Amino acid sequence: MRKKLVTLLLTTAVCLNILSGCGSKPVQEENEPTVQEENKPAVQEENLSAEGVIESEVDTNITAELNIWSSGEELQRFVEGFNKIYPNITVNITVIPNKEFLSKLTPVLSGGKDVPDIFTGESDYVKYLVNAGVWDDLTGEPYQAANQLDDIWDYVKDVGTDDEGAVRALSWQTTPGSVIYRRDLAEKVLGVSDPKEVAAYLSDYDKMMETAGIFKDNNIAMFGSWEDVMLMVLSDRSKPWVVDGKLVIDPKMEEFLDIVKEIYEKGYDLNVSEWDPEWIAGVEGDEVFCYVLPTWGYSFMVKANAVNTMGKWGLCEGPNPYINGGTWLGIYKDSPNKEAAWAFLEYVTLNSEALQEYAVTYGEYVGCKTADDALAQGEGEENLAGQNLYKFYNQVMAKNPNVTITEYDGQINTAYKNAAKAYATGKVTKEEAIQQFKEDVATAYPDLVIK
Amino acid sequence: MRKKSINNRSRYGYWFILPFFISFIFLGLYPVIFTFFLSFQKWDGLAPEKFVAFANFKRLLTDKVFYLSIWNTLRIWLISFIPQMLMALLLSAIFTMCAVKGMKFFRAIFYLPNLLTAASVGLLFHLLFNGNKSVVNHILKAFHVSGAPFEFFNDPVFTSNLTSYIQWWMWFGYTMILVMAGITTIDRNLFDAAYIDGADRGQTFRKITLPLIRPTIVYIAITSIIGGMQLFDVPSTMSDGTGEPDKAILTVSMYLYNQGFKNHNYGYSAAVSVGLFVIICVMSLVSFKFMKGGEKEHG
Amino acid sequence: MVKITIKKWIKNILLYGFLLLLVVITLIPFYLITVNATHSSFEIVTQLNLLPGKYLMENYRKLQSYVNIWSGFFNSLLISVVFMAGSGYFGALVAFGFEKYQFKGKKFLYALLLASMMIPSQVSMIGFYRLGLKLGLVNKLITFMIPFFAPGVSSVSTIFFLRGMISQGVSTSLLEAARMEGCSEFGIFNRIVFPCIMPGVATMCIFNFVNSWNNYIGPLIMITDTKKYTMPILISLVKGIYLTNYGAMYLAVGISILVVVVVYLFCSKYIIDGLTMGAEK
Repeated sequence: MRKKLVTLLLTTAVCLNILSGCGSKPVQEENEPTVQEENKPAVQEENLSAEGVIESEVDTNITAELNIWSSGEELQRFVEGFNKIYPNITVNITVIPNKEFLSKLTPVLSGGKDVPDIFTGESDYVKYLVNAGVWDDLTGEPYQAANQLDDIWDYVKDVGTDDEGAVRALSWQTTPGSVIYRRDLAEKVLGVSDPKEVAAYLSDYDKMMETAGIFKDNNIAMFGSWEDVMLMVLSDRSKPWVVDGKLVIDPKMEEFLDIVKEIYEKGYDLNVSEWDPEWIAGVEGDEVFCYVLPTWGYSFMVKANAVNTMGKWGLCEGPNPYINGGTWLGIYKDSPNKEAAWAFLEYVTLNSEALQEYAVTYGEYVGCKTADDALAQGEGEENLAGQNLYKFYNQVMAKNPNVTITEYDGQINTAYKNAAKAYATGKVTKEEAIQQFKEDVATAYPDLVIK
Repeated sequence: MRKKSINNRSRYGYWFILPFFISFIFLGLYPVIFTFFLSFQKWDGLAPEKFVAFANFKRLLTDKVFYLSIWNTLRIWLISFIPQMLMALLLSAIFTMCAVKGMKFFRAIFYLPNLLTAASVGLLFHLLFNGNKSVVNHILKAFHVSGAPFEFFNDPVFTSNLTSYIQWWMWFGYTMILVMAGITTIDRNLFDAAYIDGADRGQTFRKITLPLIRPTIVYIAITSIIGGMQLFDVPSTMSDGTGEPDKAILTVSMYLYNQGFKNHNYGYSAAVSVGLFVIICVMSLVSFKFMKGGEKEHG
Repeated sequence: MVKITIKKWIKNILLYGFLLLLVVITLIPFYLITVNATHSSFEIVTQLNLLPGKYLMENYRKLQSYVNIWSGFFNSLLISVVFMAGSGYFGALVAFGFEKYQFKGKKFLYALLLASMMIPSQVSMIGFYRLGLKLGLVNKLITFMIPFFAPGVSSVSTIFFLRGMISQGVSTSLLEAARMEGCSEFGIFNRIVFPCIMPGVATMCIFNFVNSWNNYIGPLIMITDTKKYTMPILISLVKGIYLTNYGAMYLAVGISILVVVVVYLFCSKYIIDGLTMGAEK
């Protein structure tokens, strides 16, 4: 009976996953939002009325047809609420997988025909789009967003700002990181389950690997995949991959290679890649202790798949605070529907009330500080045994994790993962792995200076 | 009077061949010239092109990945082509010498994979082999193969050979049909004469059939190498476009696609195209020479 | 005598055993598609499935919920049918022009045609892309319907093949007779030559259809609009879209090759005869 139930649950879990947002993370099906009514925080009345006033000032009778390209399904979730305010704007959203997004976008941008009014950019390449001059400056005419940006997390603003200081893209989400761990397994192996106490076992990378050894002794893999850990290590660097056109390999990244090797050799993970079915299935089993993932990883992966393990999860901090991923959206510079496009972009990224509603429904941490603050006052999350995820992520944000996004990240991270894997599996030495990595980067970006 | 009507008629000749040349000039010739033109430019797909003279070619000559991709493409082709040819010869020997019942049925089945969408085939084999819980690993575990489950796509040698195997699977039937067609053009009397002289079937095949179908074999080799050097669909969908592991199945075509459409180095990608073009030309020429030599030998 | 019969038997068993083994090797992937397209993703991941399951409709529903596979199907069908028909008709016309008319530069032009068969389509891909941007051909399915040099596929060999057919099967005296009757040159082609070589045209049409249907790199580069995706493009995206939905992915693969298999069931004779005729030349 139990086996049957597990079967059923896993089937649902596997089926529920499709591609979306940050680093191709799966989202839940549109018609099955994971609302927990009891989870609804106290909405701040003052905020509400303030937002109401702003909205009544704009012309809500704009008639237009907006074409939007998005690498994830999330934007569709805003359309219904948006149409309540702007009933005459038709929103057509086309979802294109992240991996193909740029190669589909470049031809239309280059040809200047059939360009969507709004298109998204994921953290892997958002900087490329921001600096390519294809998005309008949102602080300029006709948007004048400058006075509305105070409520937005700096991470969202900074990444969306180009080298000249123009804000070209914004996001509905902010993506601080966490170690998403199993309380029951922590209790069983470490004898503690409280986030603070568990975090003590992960205070630095040596300590973390030591803890992984303890779990291994209990036949539990510490991590789902070592690739998760890299998301955290990237914020441990003081410098991004590229500074002034030069490739920088931070010493922290080199140390990471040995961490990967140790994880591989000692079996501290499931020996699968992120988004592999076994990696996802680990949420429902008892063989994985934690997933090192940012906000989107919690809402799209862990929360979405935790049925059997519902309520057994906790969020704690790892060796360093981190922030990783995200999807931004901007308005095409030659869009004929700028007014309508701005209405939508404003609703999705700046409307605290709408974002709060969205956050409650989908369990995501959002880009508006007031929305996150309001939710941090509310009740905790059932799946986290009552822990309030907004409060937790607010604390992470308060520590100002290092932001290291460059326009080269997508290809460079992939190259580095390949190098790390080659080294971990013993195919090459560390020096050869780094040499290989440099060559791969030079192949993709011949203009970078690589020493 | 008569002459005039012929002149008049020749006008129709031009009219009738016109559709081809319209298509050829605009969609055949022009893009090739444009590719050559772009190979001297730097172009990221958005900003205007910039003339960089021979910079792309200088880079090409020292580009390890380019050479690796040529080697990959050649290796994958060779490892699939040789067994393909041997199998085709064996099957056509069987079909032309033994009275096999259901020959047409077998022939039709063997040819079927050749018509499949190569992109689908690549994805299919990816699905069958990827991961510890893949279909093939389940099969191996059912047979208690030691070491199963295997991480197939971590092994560059295996992945490359799998690509060759897929190519073999898709093309051996085609090659067989062409070889059989070549055999049917041979004068039957030659065989009869050989039998009268006391040759057995094996000897007849080696001494008469093989030398006489040499032009067919060379034709197959040339078309196969032109196609093989352009290999793209199967390794691309099988490795998610990356050519991993360790770039083992990164073919020249994949490399030029990735340089252009993934890395936005369109100018360099054009230079890779020119490089590929030169390689194919050289190989075709060598094969032509080879074929000519072969023809002379057999008068 | 008995010895010989036994020897023959063993020989036959070995022979047919070998051929059947090869049949199994050839058909195994088809079998695996069928089996896996009818099982749930969970069953595929957790166990070995040897018999078809009951999840076909469920997988179909999953497949359709994210991508309209039939839209890709009809786009592919549209371009393949038009490309096939255009290449067949105009291929015959060009072949007729080269075979039955005398004009200046004919040899050179025909050599040019033969040479163009050797141009690898991928070499011109980047140039094609640039040209497509200039002429606004991005997202225009019509580009793939142009006979002879659609991006990614070439049907020039049709001309070469049909010229051979015309030279063998259409006598010049027949054409002269038609001219006497007052038939125009274009009328001669339509009423006499084209019907005469119809079997050859049909064979080439099948090949051109299949080639166009399977064309991957052309649409990959020129089509960005999801509504205009062709089947191979959808297939290449399937992994990114369905992530762990294996049943749906196998089904998508199955649907994409189904058409070709059906075409083959009805036309395998023409296809193989066509190949054989082509090779004999």
